[in-house]
Amino acid sequence: MTDTPSDSGFTPDARLYFRAREGWRWAEALPWIVAIAAFFVFPDYMALGTQILIAIIFALSLDLILGYAGIVTLGHAAYFGAGAYATGMLSAHLGWGEPISAMLFGGLVGAALGFLSGWVLLRYHGLTLLMLTLATAILLMEGANAAEYWTGGFDGLVGISIWPLFNHFEYDLWGHTYYWYALAVLFCCFLVARRIVHSSFGRSLVGIKGNVNRMHAIGTPVHGKLVKIYTISAGMAGIAGGLFAESNAYVTLDVMSFARSGTVLIMLVLGGTGRLYGAFLGTVVYLVLEDELAKLSPEFWEFGIGLLLVVVVLFMRGGMLGALDDLVAWARGKGKP
Amino acid sequence: MIPALETRDLSKHFGALYVTQDVSLRLEPGARHALIGPNGAGKTTLINLISGALSANRGSVLLGGDDITAQSQAGRVKRGLARTFQINQLFRDLTVVENVTMPILERSGIGRNIWRRASTFSHVLDEAMALLSQLHLHGDALTPVRELPYGRQRLVEIAITLGLKPSVLLLDEPAAGVPSAESHIILDVIAALPEDIAILIIEHDMEIVFQFAKSISVLVAGNVLVEGTPEEIAENQEVRAVYLGVEADG
Ligand SMILES: Nc1ncnc2c1ncn2[C@@H]1O[C@H](COP(=O)(O)OP(=O)(O)O)[C@@H](O)[C@H]1O
Ligand SMILES: [Mg+2]
Repeated sequence: MTDTPSDSGFTPDARLYFRAREGWRWAEALPWIVAIAAFFVFPDYMALGTQILIAIIFALSLDLILGYAGIVTLGHAAYFGAGAYATGMLSAHLGWGEPISAMLFGGLVGAALGFLSGWVLLRYHGLTLLMLTLATAILLMEGANAAEYWTGGFDGLVGISIWPLFNHFEYDLWGHTYYWYALAVLFCCFLVARRIVHSSFGRSLVGIKGNVNRMHAIGTPVHGKLVKIYTISAGMAGIAGGLFAESNAYVTLDVMSFARSGTVLIMLVLGGTGRLYGAFLGTVVYLVLEDELAKLSPEFWEFGIGLLLVVVVLFMRGGMLGALDDLVAWARGKGKP
Repeated sequence: MIPALETRDLSKHFGALYVTQDVSLRLEPGARHALIGPNGAGKTTLINLISGALSANRGSVLLGGDDITAQSQAGRVKRGLARTFQINQLFRDLTVVENVTMPILERSGIGRNIWRRASTFSHVLDEAMALLSQLHLHGDALTPVRELPYGRQRLVEIAITLGLKPSVLLLDEPAAGVPSAESHIILDVIAALPEDIAILIIEHDMEIVFQFAKSISVLVAGNVLVEGTPEEIAENQEVRAVYLGVEADG
C-alpha cells in the first residue's frame, strides 16, 4: 500500500476539479439555441412548443428531488395541479389575471403544499414513501373534485381570463406569445435549479442520496434538508401548473392525475436523472414522439413510448443523456492512442 | 474530572433478545479505551446506542457531563461525538475529497447554503485536502471512492469522522476487512490521532488492542464482564475462559 502513487507527493488540485464541474460548458447553449430556432422553423407548432416548455419545467422540478435527493414519487402532479388551480381560480373567482403574478401565486401555493405534505411524507422512505406520495395526489384530486363550487369539479374550471403580458402582448391563437413567455420562465427556473444543485446544500443532497446513514452519522439534519428541496421542487411544479392554466385558460382534474405524475417520471427517466438537461431531452423526445406516433396510429402510440422506455431503462444507465455522455467519453478514449 | 463520555445502565433489547444489559462505561478526556468481546456480544449495538442511531430502552448517555440521551443523532454529533462503521458507509460514487468535504460542510453550517457555489468556499476544500494529507490520502483526492482498494476506503471512513473535529470518537473495528499486512497503516493513523480526543475502539486483533488501549472492557452477551488495564485483562481467568480461550493458554 505504501507503494501506491498516492504517496508520491503529487496533490491534485481539488479546487480546479470543483470549479470545472460547476462551470458552464459550450454544449449547454445548445438546448436554448434549439428552443429559439424552433420558433422560426416551426412557427405553426408553437402551441405544442409551449406545452413542451411547461412540461420541461415540471420535469426539472422532479429532477431536483429525484435526481439529486433520491426521493422517488408517484404524486408530483399534486403540486402541478395545485399551482394550476391556484392560478386559474385567482382569475376565475377573484378576477385577477395578470399573468406573471398569477403564475407566481401558483408556485407559492405549490410550495406551501409541498412544505406541508413533505413534512409528513419525508419521514418515510422506500415503498411507504412511494405509496404516500401517490395517496397525497389522489386525496388532493378527490378534494378538488368535491370542492365543485371552487374548482368546477369534474367539468373543469372555466372562466379563466388572463390579461396581456406586460399589459401589451396579447394571447394569440398560434401561441407565439406564450412560447416566449414559457421559455423565459423555463430559463429562470433552470438558473435557479442549476445554482441550487451546485451549492453546498446541493452537494449535501447528493450525500443524502448516496448514503443516508452516513449523513445521519455526520450530523446532517436529513429531514429538514429533504423538506427544503421538496418545497422548492413543489414550488417549481406549481409554477409549471400556473403556466399551464394560463396557456390553456382551462383546468380539469386531469392536472393532478396519476397519469400526469407517471408521465413526468417517464420523461425524466428517459432523458436521464440528476443532470438537469435530462428533463429537456426526455420531455422533448416523449412529447414529439407522442405527437408523431399518434398521427401514425392513434391507438398504439403508447406502445412506441413503452418500447423506448424499456430500451432506455435496460441499456442506458443515466438515460439518453447518460448514454450520450458515455458515447462522447468512448469517442474521446478512441481518439487517443 | 468530568468524563468525556459516560453510559449509565444502558440497556437495549430486540424483542426477546437482550443485546445490551446495564452497560456502564466511563471514558476520561483523551482516553484510549478498547471494547472487546466475541461476535454478537453487542459491541456495534452499544455504539449505535451511544451515537443515537438506535434509541435505548433504559439508561442514559452523558457527553462531557451533559445528559444527551434524548438528543438526536445530529444533536450528538454537534456536541462532538463521532463514529465510524464496521462496514464502510461512504459516498461510493463521489471522489475521496468530496467524501471528506461532507462532514466539514455540516460541522461549519455551510451545508445549509443554498445559493453560493460550493467551490467558492475555498477554506473547506483546503481543510479537506489537509486532512487527506494527514492520512496520506491526498494522492487519491480525485479518485471515486469505489475505485479505491478496501484498505484505503477504511482510511476514508476514518477521515470523514475526523472532518467533524470530534472530542469523542467511536471506532467500530477500523481494520475489519483489511489484509493483515496492511492493518498497521490503519493502526498508525489511529495512534497518531490528537491526544485530547477520547477514543473507544472495538477491535478483534488482540495485538492492536494491547498496543493501543490503556483500558479495556470485555463485553459478553450484552454485559460488561470485566473492566481493567490491559495487564489485568490479560491475566483475568474469566476472560481467558470465555474469550481469549485457547489462545491465552497457548
Ligand atoms: N436491528 C437489529 N434487530 C434485531 N437484532 C439485532 C439488530 N442489531 C443487532 N442485532 C442482534 O444483536 C446481537 C448483537 O449484535 P452486534 O451488536 O452487531 O454484535 P457485535 O458487534 O458485538 O458483533 C446479534 O445477535 C445481532 O443479531
Ligand atoms: Mg460489530
